[in-house]
Amino acid sequence: MQEFLQQLTNGLAVGGIYALIALGYTMVYGVLKLINFAHGELFALGAYLGFTLLVTLGLSDFMGGVGVVFLLLIFAMGLVAIAGYFLERVAYRPLRQSNRLAAVVSALGASIFFQNAMMLVYGTKALVYPGGILPSVVVSVLGVEIPLIRILIFASSVLLMCLLFWFIHHTRTGAAVRAVSLDQGAARLMGINVNRIISLIFLIGPALGAAAGVMVGLLYGQIRYDMGVGYGLKAFTAAILGGIGNIPGAMAGGILLGVIEALGAAYISIAWKDAIAFFTLILILIFRPTGLLGERVADKV
Amino acid sequence: MKRYLLPAALFLLATLSPAMAANVKIGLMAPLTGAYASEGEDMEKLVRLLVEEKNKAGGINGAAVELVVEDDGSTPRDAGNAANRLTAKGVPVVIGTYGSAITEASQEIYAEAGIVQIATGSTSIRLTAKGFARFFRTCPRDDEQGRVAAETIARLGYKKIAILHDNSVYAKGLAEESRDRILKDGIAEIIFYDALQPNERDYSAILTKLKGINPEAILFTGYYTEAGLLLRQMAEMKWFAPMIGGDATNNVGLVEIAGPAAKGYRFISPALPEDIDTPQAKAFLAAYKAKYRSMPSSIWPVLAGDAFNVLAAAIEARGTDPEAIAAYLHRDLKDFDGLSGKISFDEKGDRVGDLYRLYEVDARGKFVLVP
Repeated sequence: MQEFLQQLTNGLAVGGIYALIALGYTMVYGVLKLINFAHGELFALGAYLGFTLLVTLGLSDFMGGVGVVFLLLIFAMGLVAIAGYFLERVAYRPLRQSNRLAAVVSALGASIFFQNAMMLVYGTKALVYPGGILPSVVVSVLGVEIPLIRILIFASSVLLMCLLFWFIHHTRTGAAVRAVSLDQGAARLMGINVNRIISLIFLIGPALGAAAGVMVGLLYGQIRYDMGVGYGLKAFTAAILGGIGNIPGAMAGGILLGVIEALGAAYISIAWKDAIAFFTLILILIFRPTGLLGERVADKV
Repeated sequence: MKRYLLPAALFLLATLSPAMAANVKIGLMAPLTGAYASEGEDMEKLVRLLVEEKNKAGGINGAAVELVVEDDGSTPRDAGNAANRLTAKGVPVVIGTYGSAITEASQEIYAEAGIVQIATGSTSIRLTAKGFARFFRTCPRDDEQGRVAAETIARLGYKKIAILHDNSVYAKGLAEESRDRILKDGIAEIIFYDALQPNERDYSAILTKLKGINPEAILFTGYYTEAGLLLRQMAEMKWFAPMIGGDATNNVGLVEIAGPAAKGYRFISPALPEDIDTPQAKAFLAAYKAKYRSMPSSIWPVLAGDAFNVLAAAIEARGTDPEAIAAYLHRDLKDFDGLSGKISFDEKGDRVGDLYRLYEVDARGKFVLVP
């Protein structure tokens, strides 16, 4: 039982990170019916910008603790949001009226561009976040030993998700986002500036991805220019699992995927971890083709 | 009359030039992008420096060396393309590459083109078991490493061992070899044997499971990135079981990733360049440091450099005919003084000699030879 709970907490920290990245995929899909393949790279960019602030600009020399984490998150989220905005303006907006495949190809191209740009700027070697920013403490809850950093990361990802949920469901702009994802034409007739809403989506999604990037840097220490591919694939899977286009679905899908992976590794086989995760995805899609929380049937993809 | 002079001179030059010494082309296939890009970068830097030094000293028999570099992308698929490009460029010899599966994808192509290939980091046993007459490697083989790993565990006296690999051709081969040796010689009991997923960052699920089984030591046969992450996450869990690794963890990146958690980590590896006591090795490393302001980050670029050194020696002695070069490497090259120690090849193209040493990471993160 104790080991089960331990594995559950292992899965939750990973799942929180998957969920944050998955939100970026699902929001863009909800509004544009486009898979933003460059999203994984924006996540990696967030991790690298956090590294720049910490090491290159020397923030870690001045202060430590939660304040640094907060500054890192704000810095990386802000800059990556700007990158996301320009990504949409340059790579997606000119193609909005054209064939959907053109936008997909453009997304793949943007992904390759970002990945190679990071490789050229930061180099091929893995970079390492300095240690000791957060105290290395293990908290014992009901006999389960959880490193403090994992609790903090899970808590902040849940906090960010709650903020997003509140924003989408309880503000006027949030209502506009929902309206645009339902029907762009009707939303425009109601006086909603659709372009501005789409730009907003490309500010929020990448910012959440950047937050996940900083968290990966803090938790595992090691970041690499191609890390966006692996995490992007997992987060995309999580978005599908929860029902792509659905915001609570992405959150649930991400956390569920993390937990399935941890438990699969613990009780079935470590080497089959990914196979188990994808097998679960297939099973869920057989019985619920729109994902766990997806209601609308995805038309043409 | 005068206006015919220039064309005549050009004609004369054109007919004469084949008789003059052409450049000696040497191919280098290295992982410049992808998972092993950091190894590939150092491989290229190190071999380029050797080529520069060779050319400054007058080249090989008066001919300048031209290095032709292609990227194997750290994947078998890209390696096939790289091999085809090098073949098309007409190189008689190729250095490379690092990963076993990647080398394997290129072997056939080079063999068909008659090119001499010297792999530099591909330790998988079966590469030299296929009977390619012009395939060599400057690195040792996994069964040799498996033997040393088993002996090391016997020497350290661990009785309950967990073995972890990453399903790559290299890591799996080494894990199997070590397991078979340990069981055959009754050295220890293997209470856990499984593979992790490389290129992932979270190994907490595996470590939680391992901690529950509580082995006396963990033998990890994968690469340095994962080893570093495992050590770091073990420290995060406050679990400090001794971990022993294979030669792919011989990279300073391990210490960077693991931080203070790397202290006490042990691995077996061919001797580091700093520990090779020949004047050539010392002089070369000094030159490397002067030029790039760092040391090679692992042993593997050094083995690529040694591949260049033996090829240069062979071409100097026998010219650029691949058949003659292969014959020279098989039979005439004995105890060549390389950057990684004495080099000789057996009839299969494997490097002979006792290469492995045990290293330990000290408190300052330096790799120290365990006597």
